[in-house]
Amino acid sequence: MRVSRNWLGDFLELEDIAPVRIAELLTMSGTEVERTLDVGRGLDQVVVGEVVDLARVEGSDHLFLARVRGGDEEPQDVVCGAGNLFVGALVPWARPGTTLPSGLEIGRRKIRGVVSNGMLCAADEVGLGSDHEGILLLPPANAGAGLPLSDLYPEDTVYELEILSNRADCLSHWGVARELAAVLDRPLREPDLRPVASSGQPLLNSLTVEIEDESVCPFYRADGFGGIPDRAAPHWMQRRLQAVGQRSVSGIVDVANYVLLDVGQPLHTFDLERLQAGGGHIRLGVRQARAGDRLRCLDGVDRALDPATLLITAGDRATAIAGVIGGQDSAVHEGTRELVLEAASFAWTSVRSTSRRLGLRTEASSRFERLLAPQLAPVGALRFARLLTDEIGGTLRPGPVEAGRMPASAGPIRVAAASISSLLGVPLTPERTAAALRRLQFTVSSEGPDLEVIPPAVRTDVREPVDLVEEVGRIIGYQEVPGTIPVMRRAPRAGAATAPAARLAADLAIGAGYTECITGSLVPSDLVSPVRGLGTGRTDLALANPLSTQLGALRSSLLPGLLSSCQLNQARGRDRVRLFEQGRVFWRVDGARPEEPELLALVDQDVEPDPDGSAERLLHLLRVCQGLGERLSLGETEFRPAEHSGFHPFRCAEIWSGGQTWGVLGELSPKALAQLELRGRVVAAELRTDGWLVPGGRPSLAPALTRTPALVLDLAVTVPERALLGEALAAVHERAIPWLERIWLLDQYQGSQVLAGRKGWTFRLRLRDPERTLTGHDGEVTRQRVLTCLRERVAAELR
Amino acid sequence: MTGDDLQELTRGALEEIAGASDPDQLELVRRKYMARHGGLITAGAAALATVDGDGRAELGRAFNLAKSTVQQALHTRQLELASGGRAADAEREWLDLSHPGAGLDRGHQHPVARLVREIEDIMARLGYESVRGPEIEDDLHNFQLLNMPPEHPARDTHDTFYLAGAEAAWLFRTHTSPVQMRTMLSGRPPFRIIVPGKVARRDNPDPTHIPVFHQVEGLCVDRGVTVGDLKGTLEYLLRALFGPERKVRLRASFFPYTEPSLEADVACGICQGSGCRSCLGKGWMEILGSGMVHPQVLRNGGVDPEQFSGFAFGMGPDRIAVLRYGLPDVRELYENDLRLLEQF
Ligand SMILES: [Zn+2]
Repeated sequence: MRVSRNWLGDFLELEDIAPVRIAELLTMSGTEVERTLDVGRGLDQVVVGEVVDLARVEGSDHLFLARVRGGDEEPQDVVCGAGNLFVGALVPWARPGTTLPSGLEIGRRKIRGVVSNGMLCAADEVGLGSDHEGILLLPPANAGAGLPLSDLYPEDTVYELEILSNRADCLSHWGVARELAAVLDRPLREPDLRPVASSGQPLLNSLTVEIEDESVCPFYRADGFGGIPDRAAPHWMQRRLQAVGQRSVSGIVDVANYVLLDVGQPLHTFDLERLQAGGGHIRLGVRQARAGDRLRCLDGVDRALDPATLLITAGDRATAIAGVIGGQDSAVHEGTRELVLEAASFAWTSVRSTSRRLGLRTEASSRFERLLAPQLAPVGALRFARLLTDEIGGTLRPGPVEAGRMPASAGPIRVAAASISSLLGVPLTPERTAAALRRLQFTVSSEGPDLEVIPPAVRTDVREPVDLVEEVGRIIGYQEVPGTIPVMRRAPRAGAATAPAARLAADLAIGAGYTECITGSLVPSDLVSPVRGLGTGRTDLALANPLSTQLGALRSSLLPGLLSSCQLNQARGRDRVRLFEQGRVFWRVDGARPEEPELLALVDQDVEPDPDGSAERLLHLLRVCQGLGERLSLGETEFRPAEHSGFHPFRCAEIWSGGQTWGVLGELSPKALAQLELRGRVVAAELRTDGWLVPGGRPSLAPALTRTPALVLDLAVTVPERALLGEALAAVHERAIPWLERIWLLDQYQGSQVLAGRKGWTFRLRLRDPERTLTGHDGEVTRQRVLTCLRERVAAELR
Repeated sequence: MTGDDLQELTRGALEEIAGASDPDQLELVRRKYMARHGGLITAGAAALATVDGDGRAELGRAFNLAKSTVQQALHTRQLELASGGRAADAEREWLDLSHPGAGLDRGHQHPVARLVREIEDIMARLGYESVRGPEIEDDLHNFQLLNMPPEHPARDTHDTFYLAGAEAAWLFRTHTSPVQMRTMLSGRPPFRIIVPGKVARRDNPDPTHIPVFHQVEGLCVDRGVTVGDLKGTLEYLLRALFGPERKVRLRASFFPYTEPSLEADVACGICQGSGCRSCLGKGWMEILGSGMVHPQVLRNGGVDPEQFSGFAFGMGPDRIAVLRYGLPDVRELYENDLRLLEQF
């Protein structure tokens, strides 16, 4: 919402406060100033020009040549593109040599062979609003040709405000002024609410109002006016409306808009004659729409009305959508001499859902949907009557017609002054607390240590004691509250400081050369990825209301996202892409909350690999997974050859631990790569980390560091080509062979030295006895035991 | 043999040792001078026995010195030859050390993950435990328990993704605050937690919005927790994140689940508060929303507001990353272009 500093000045003294200081005070107390705009700055050089003659520029279909008079001197020619000029119009004229508020320097230019002496300006060009529709037309009553424009438009500052959603009371100049009066501790000048004198036929003679359900419309007031002249709003009113971004429409509409922005009550004006629609007596009604109700609205759109819509009806025909928009058929127009003013209160839930359903947000609906105080309705009606009769003309008819009941104000809020001070954490006397609340126009009486507080009716957001803490806090200012750290009386949960497994796993992957990614949790609805890792066989959970089908479902695997990041990097010229991601995926569980496993996925793409490179990278990836298990899980980790869709049939394994499978790894199949448009070769793994990896990692134990010398010896065997090293070593470890401290593969070979269909393995064995030095004979015994074990499990033969 | 002769002999031996270009040559030199029988120096020493008088002791010391000098030179030269030795040989092993090549073969942490970790570590120093919660939530925990009944206007800024079909009761959490509720409901105060995680809002992607993003939530509930405690804690956190000199301000705001509610700004890093293009002339950047936990929310969490009070705050590490690392578009954080990620 925009407010003007001059307008705020109606309600409190602001002349001595710098505009920037006002912005700061508003922002700090909760009414954030998004932007500050200078209005009417630098207008002393622009003059009022009178159009004395108007012709088309030859050879152009949109340019006009205006002869403009500015004071006594000879009229001059100005070329202009706007279509709203007429002879006699008074317009802002920037003559050659003028500098506009935007800094634009105006000169004498030739346009289409015609000399243009400066330019005629739209409202935005002279900094008087955002309107660029046509040339700004100046009111004849105030403007005389040759006057500097600054005489008509005194300087002003306009603030663009972000009003908090609970503060319906701030959606007006009066409301914002109330805030400023409080933070500045200055008296607030209340609006003039004295009733105007009425005359003529009582309104009740022409109109009655009936509310079907007072829970959605607690209060409805109609005022009648007659003898209204067709007259524009006074210049000062138009100027203010313009400054805050409103277009001047007509006298009646401008007054209604002005009252809305002045005190915050949305009003609606009906043409009385049109409401009668041939009949005599008007029966206004407030009711829910029924099947078949339609309304041509003020914006020109003919709408079929949903039964949830609250309507204003005349003789049971829809004539307005309550609190949102009026109908065209009953709208005021230039010929309106008699009108009916609606000042009502509608339930915020009703207005809100209607406005959302229609996709239509208006000045009225944006106020009603925020719990606007019903007590504002009479205020709006009184202000309208005063301004209409004073500034436009016409008379008020006796007696507003009312329906419903003005809700009673809530009782006082009782609060211990000390509790406010102790929750804020700043010492405040009860007197100071009460004074802060009084600055906000709250009525405060004290009873011993307790305060009894009645906020003004418009403050619908203040209901309980804790709301008063906020009011006091923001009025004395949070900069006055000293920053402290809360006392910790109890130690944090033991173990809370243990690094989560995810953090340790990320460190390990980063150390191994993989770079961390974060990909989107939302994937295309129809994602058909050939590689789905642990999500294989599951369907992605669909969103009911996606932004697009591209972001239509929740991922069930990290791999599709990670592989598309590979693709992006490949497209941007990378030849090696190593990435990992940790995150949640989502799996459907019938009839229950979806499961959210924590996964870790790693990929390694070599865009231009050498033939053996991919095997080497797969083994590296495998070692990373093994490292994760060794460092972060409690059980032993095994890799069992497996088949998995999207993976190479002979280069794929599952990761097993504690009798469960935790992940899959392997090289992607050429077919999958082709589908994913990935070049080269890609190895990938996806593991479930929750449940497998433990916080803090595997507990460490110090081994006995025996001092006797080790005996190191080698064992060379041959085994069948497809024998598994993991199985062989697991077998040896299971056997718990005496003295054998460690066994590892030294070399693997195939070819002329071994039989076809077999391969050679050379193991190195390190033996040790804690008590004595081992002999060659001990070594031979051990070697035989290992050989026996290998023979049994992987058909090994001594070479 | 005189002392001068001996010196002459030693000099000759050292020259020949230095001139030996392979171990075989060196061995010949060793034999010539130091062979147990007939080596020029060893033989001279043996002949000492024939000398008598004052000169004998002195000459004896000179021979010992000569022997150890030559012995040392032989040993050194032997090592030199074994390791490929002479200056000319070392030159063949010239290495360009001006350029480290591809650098350490390490991976990189994602900037958002890095910031989350940083925030967790800062808060851990104040005793906050890092906890996680489900990303798929129900209306009760995401909204109702947090003082946002259906149709509440504050839900306007929480445009929510709902699951379809059989899962229609579930939504993608719009903030990490439901974890506050889950924590309070599953334990007894005091609570001090920090909750990082993904959240989602139905905002169309643009340079400052992305539908799924990150939040870090903090909650402290104990006896006698005050607005001053909230202020002190936020100042500590924000100065630890943005630098000890950075100005921090708290201003009034509104959230349905806190009362009072406050927004924390830090001075713009570019203009330091005077206003510039990057802060849209405000001089400050909105970093975090916070407030004292609303008494009704405490009650909803099974905590008695008469005995306990608390504060909560929430911030967006994505936005902080954008500000801190000068990214033009928040979406770049999730493209995973290695050229960006490798900066971290
Ligand atoms: Zn700045």
